[in-house]
Order: sequence, then C-alpha cells, then structure tokens
Amino acid sequence: MWETRRAREEALRFAAVWNVEGPLLLDETGDYAARLGITGVPTNVLVDDNGIVRAVGAVTPAELERAVADLLGD
Amino acid sequence: MTVAGKFPPPHSGPACRVEWAHRVVAEPWLGAGPEAVAVDSAARRAYVACSRDNAVVAVDLDRWVPVWRAGVGREPIPVVLDLPRRRLFTADARSDTVTVLDADNADRVAQITVGQDAYPAGLGHDPARRRVFCGNTAAGTITAIDADRLEVIGVIPAEIGAGSIAVDEERGRGYCANFMAGSLTVFDTETLRPLRRIAVGEGPCKTVANPTTGHLYVAGSLHSTVLRLSLATGRPLDDMRVERAPVGMCVSPDGGRLYVCNRGAGTVSALDASSGAETHRITVGHGPGDCHIDAATGRLLVSNAGSGTLTVVDRPWLPGPVRPQTHPAVGRRIPHFALPDARTGQERTTREWAEKKYVINFFASW
Repeated sequence: MWETRRAREEALRFAAVWNVEGPLLLDETGDYAARLGITGVPTNVLVDDNGIVRAVGAVTPAELERAVADLLGD
Repeated sequence: MTVAGKFPPPHSGPACRVEWAHRVVAEPWLGAGPEAVAVDSAARRAYVACSRDNAVVAVDLDRWVPVWRAGVGREPIPVVLDLPRRRLFTADARSDTVTVLDADNADRVAQITVGQDAYPAGLGHDPARRRVFCGNTAAGTITAIDADRLEVIGVIPAEIGAGSIAVDEERGRGYCANFMAGSLTVFDTETLRPLRRIAVGEGPCKTVANPTTGHLYVAGSLHSTVLRLSLATGRPLDDMRVERAPVGMCVSPDGGRLYVCNRGAGTVSALDASSGAETHRITVGHGPGDCHIDAATGRLLVSNAGSGTLTVVDRPWLPGPVRPQTHPAVGRRIPHFALPDARTGQERTTREWAEKKYVINFFASW
C-alpha cells in the first residue's frame, strides 16, 4: 500500500530495502485506506478467514506478535 | 456576608459558556507531504516544508492561508527558522543539500551541498553560536553550517540513520538521533567534537531539548514511547508511553508540556513535562509529522504529511473529545478492494484472498 507521487517506484524500493515479501498492492489515491479509517502509517490491519477485521494498529513488535497469535489461535 | 448593590444578572446564555476543551480551529491544505513546521509568532507566519512538492509554504497565522510557496531541493523534510537573520533552512534529503530562503520574500539565499548520497533528513539550530547542524542519514554524519556565512565549517561523525538534532544551548551540547543505530551522538556545538554515544533503543526518530525541566526527549518510533534523559548527565530516566509511531515533538514555550506527533495514529499526545504522564490526545490530520507552538496564541500547529494539511489546535493543553479505544473497523467485514500488484501490475481483489487469515500492512512515507 502506498501513497506518493511515484508510488510503484517508491514501494518497490522500500520493499527491497526492508526485505518485504508477499503481495504488494498500490493504493495511490489513499481511497482504500480512507475507507478502512486508516489515519497514519505504519498501520497493521489483521483480518480473519471470514474477512472480518480483528485488529487495527499493532505496530510494535510485541503488539503485532500478540495480535497474530490471537488471530491464529482461534 | 451579603453584598448590596447593582450587579448584572448571572449569565446563562452561550456568551458565558467557557470551553474547557481543545479545539481544531483550522486545517488548511498546503500541498503534498508537509513534514515539518516552523513559526515566527511576531510576524504571524508559519513555514511548512512540503516534502513531496519540493517546496516550503509560508502561511498567514491569522487568516490560515498560504502567502507564498518557494521551491527548494528534492524532498525537504525539516525546516528551521533562524530569527536573527530571518532565514529558513531546509534539509533536502534527495538532493543532498540544505536550502536557505529569505523568510520574508521567499528568495533563495543559498543552497549548500552536504555530501553525496548523504540523505540529509534532520536539522538542529544553535542561534547563539550561529550554527545550523544537519543530520545525514545515509552518510551517518552531521554537517555543521555557519548560519551567517552559510558555509560548511565541519563534519562530525555520527552513526547510520543520523537525522533529528537537538541543541542544549546552555551546555553547548548537540544530540543527534541515529535511527538505524538506535543511538544518540553527543557533540560539542562549539568545537564540533563528538563526545559520547548514548544507546536509546530502536528507531529514535526525533529529539528535542527542554531547558526548563533539564530534559532531553527522544521519540522511539518503533515502540510508541518517548525516552526522557537528563541534559545534565545524559542519563536515561524513563520511558513515556504515547501512541503509534511517534516521529515529531515540540515543547511548549513555558516548558510545561511536551507534544508528540503519533504518525501511525493521526494524533498528538500531550504530556505533562514534569511527571512525564500523557494527559490527553488530540486528533489531527493523517500522518502527523511534526509540530510547533505559536507562542503568541498558545496554539499548536501540526503538519500532517498524509493529508497534506496543517492542523491548528486552540488551547492544546486542555483535553477534548476522546476516540474510542477500539478502531471502528474492528468486527466489521473488510471493505472490498481491487488494487494493482506493484510487482506484476495484476489486479488483486478481496475475493481472491477469501478464506485466508492475513495481515495488511499500510506503509508509506507519509
């Protein structure tokens, strides 16, 4: 997800520097982030297998680990 | 005791209503990627570095409209106002320069090269010694600039991720936050000698000094905390909890409050500088990058890198509306998306991702 003037170029550079793998989708207008109520970055959104949002935020390593454990533990 | 005489009847209408809450009074749109703001209260001007417009915008502090826009180098991140000369300094991360503008007429006074592939991303200011310091993130160095002659007068070794710089004018010390190294480089602002290294934990993003309380603050952007250190000893004192991804800070003119921009949450945390406790949060624009107090009105100005705006908060020391603890999206179905894959260009949709558990990470430079 990205928002900038050269979205694809910047996103790929960022992914390479920080070794980000997996699908990398572009939200150049920020419309999708707005629909989800995202007000800043970084933000993690955790979604379960029914497509239900289970957590928003969770950016510190401890918070993210706990949120993922909760999601996978169900 | 009874007091006789003619007194006006007690007020009961809206005219006597006292607001005991902070309030957003303006939020003008300024451009793409406003990362930092400087204020000249006497001249009623704010100056905002718009990183993705490669420009600085001057804003009228009473009418909240832009009054001029000046091109600088590529991706200006910080902006500093040198009041004695009425000059603005920006560090232009992608052109390896510090651009100097005349704050009154927007004329470009100088453009100073600070290295090659150095990625200058932070500035510090020592008005008494007439120096501006530039933190070079990729080079891991600090460039010292004479604020009058506009010449490089020295380069101080720091560490990888060097950026934000705080100056303790009384003790003649500079503190450079090294983001990737998780440290502060302490240097002598007179001799330009490095003095010591202080380990501060992962992701130090911004540092400011509070001469009133004798504290230095370091925003730990990866752990949602602000570390407080003693300016006298350099010793870490405690961690203050804030919200997601603190990246910008300012101290109120009386030294009583610290305001912290939480870039990941779209809020500013207000902290009591004595106790270190967070007293309340202020909802601002998206991706707040930095903030400054207008000393004449006490208003807080916040540059929102995500929404391209400047939030103006009246009486920021007061609490206000409280956001719900749980994000409104939690418990709801994720909105449908159809977005292009950055690597392949192929459109990916919510339907394709059905029946998986996944984490969506919103990341960007705003």
